[in-house]
Amino acid sequence: MVVLRDGMCPGLSEELVVALRAADITTGTWVLINLFTLFNLALLAIRRVLLAQHTAFPVSGADLYEDLLSSTAILSTGNPSLDKLLDSGLYTGELTELAGGPGSGKTQVCFGVAVNISYQLKQSVIYVDSTGGLSASRLLQMLQAKSCNIEEQMEALQRIQVFPVFDIFSLLGCLHHFRCVGLQQASAGGGSVKAVIVDSVSAVISPILGGKQNEGMSMMMQVAGLLKTIAKDFNVAVLVTNTVTRDGNGQLKAGMGQTWSHVPRIRILLQRLERPGSTCSSVRTATLAKSSRQPCHLKEEFDLQCWGRSEEQLYGMSGKRKLENTEPS
Amino acid sequence: MTTTAKMTENGAQLFARLEGRRSLRDIEPHIFPDGAGPIQGDVVEFHGTEGSGKTETMYHLVTHCILPADRGGLEVEVMYVDTDYHFDMLRLVTVLEQRLGEDAKGEDSGAAVEPEERVRACLGRLFVVHCSSSVQLLLTLHYLENTFCSRPTLCLLVIDSISAFYWVDRSGGGESVAKQEANLRKCSELLDRLLRDYRIVVFATTHAIMRDYGHSAQADLAGMTPGPSEPTSSSSSWRQWSSSRASNFDKAYLSRAWQRLVTHRVLFSKGEVTKDRKQVFSAACTTTSTRGTKCSSFCVMEGGVQFL
Repeated sequence: MVVLRDGMCPGLSEELVVALRAADITTGTWVLINLFTLFNLALLAIRRVLLAQHTAFPVSGADLYEDLLSSTAILSTGNPSLDKLLDSGLYTGELTELAGGPGSGKTQVCFGVAVNISYQLKQSVIYVDSTGGLSASRLLQMLQAKSCNIEEQMEALQRIQVFPVFDIFSLLGCLHHFRCVGLQQASAGGGSVKAVIVDSVSAVISPILGGKQNEGMSMMMQVAGLLKTIAKDFNVAVLVTNTVTRDGNGQLKAGMGQTWSHVPRIRILLQRLERPGSTCSSVRTATLAKSSRQPCHLKEEFDLQCWGRSEEQLYGMSGKRKLENTEPS
Repeated sequence: MTTTAKMTENGAQLFARLEGRRSLRDIEPHIFPDGAGPIQGDVVEFHGTEGSGKTETMYHLVTHCILPADRGGLEVEVMYVDTDYHFDMLRLVTVLEQRLGEDAKGEDSGAAVEPEERVRACLGRLFVVHCSSSVQLLLTLHYLENTFCSRPTLCLLVIDSISAFYWVDRSGGGESVAKQEANLRKCSELLDRLLRDYRIVVFATTHAIMRDYGHSAQADLAGMTPGPSEPTSSSSSWRQWSSSRASNFDKAYLSRAWQRLVTHRVLFSKGEVTKDRKQVFSAACTTTSTRGTKCSSFCVMEGGVQFL
């Protein structure tokens, strides 16, 4: 709501604001909507300024396309199988969702993506941790596999900025802070931020959903709106994690209900592989559940340990389904 | 006085306004019943759950509008209002390039215009606006009135999606239903005026997010398979038919002012996966001017929607 205040625009003096308030007009919407009865030129000027400040302006499709071509970047996740599912990586300006049950590897994938972006691509990452599952020693372990140089490891770790949040209000506050202040100021590590990872968004939202209360749904949609605005305005890739439930036919689907299901652009379902004989396997299957670029239901298998291995081991093994250590080729 | 001061238009614009904008009656004969396609002043609502093909169909229709006439398009301008950052320009350009490419194959290879220039010319007929709240949507529609007035070839307004602010508005309105629906009601009234004054067509998508617990599934309708123009029993309303045919998420939850505006309603649902792993979607269209439902099925390929 646009509240009328003195000094907002050239015609809006203190006396006019008081006079309008006496007539019970406090917001700009009234001024804009009742334009047919407005003969006062001052009010028409107010209307012009309010429209200029608060409406959204149309952009020609050709300009938008040029803009997108020059500004969209594709960030590799570090795992070739995941990259194949995502059509070569995470696209900036989009919201990607990873859904999976407990122990399906969502946090490990988030770590792997953060490490890849900060070490390989040398860009900053903002990691919003809502489960307490972030382990700096695991990040260091992944980095140690990629490089032996302590300085490089420390530099890469510095580019990952962590924000712990444990309830919906601190998450909303954090996202508002990013939006108002800009991601560069929010991230102390320097360099340009290219990805925002929220692990997990269902941990703070699921407790407030349910029952007849509307506030939970409204806050969920506010989080969704903020994440998408941050992705588009700052040109970053946003990765969120979510839980899974089963629908009426027993199929796995992402949690948080029908309303959230419209929010992400790309959705990947992670599952453990049930293989007889291997109890502690690190192999997972990823299924593409929603995508605007590829046909759905594509499946890939990958090993969670691939981020913890060095380059020679990774490319010598083709990155898939190798549990035992092989000789680097 | 204010009306004349606001609506100055020159003679050409007045003539264009009186002559009328291009009709979209034949925009897609697969989806709309014969002879009942959307004409000036109609509002089409695309309703469906996530991943049921609404946005792909929207890209298909928008591409058909902005393509030049020598490529089989309508060559009209489209205003696309995007409320939840859903619009994927790269996907639209892929669909556009495929349509331009396959039409060019039938022509001589000595085309004077570059394919990129062609794409850019088509995209010049598309305008995109992002809105982030229902108040901003309302203000933007006010602002767009001038655009409609000054561009007589702008005949389609797409709002994707109009239900995006439902929960935020509902919580912001407190206990009073009238306050909760106030913004959407004002948007609907404004759209009504724009439709009457400027004779445009509006396409809007709504997300299916509410289950309809009040209707029991009708067993005889549940066994229906999609076919061309099969009339249902004459007493079925949209909701009864849809709750048995599609999933249960078809409750109409937006305000009555919006529901009164809608003249065509297309319900999307996911079908089964065919043998060659293609997902089939189905669209069922009901209109206020015809009886019965027009059903159609389609797949989504690389080049957009392909009807079966």
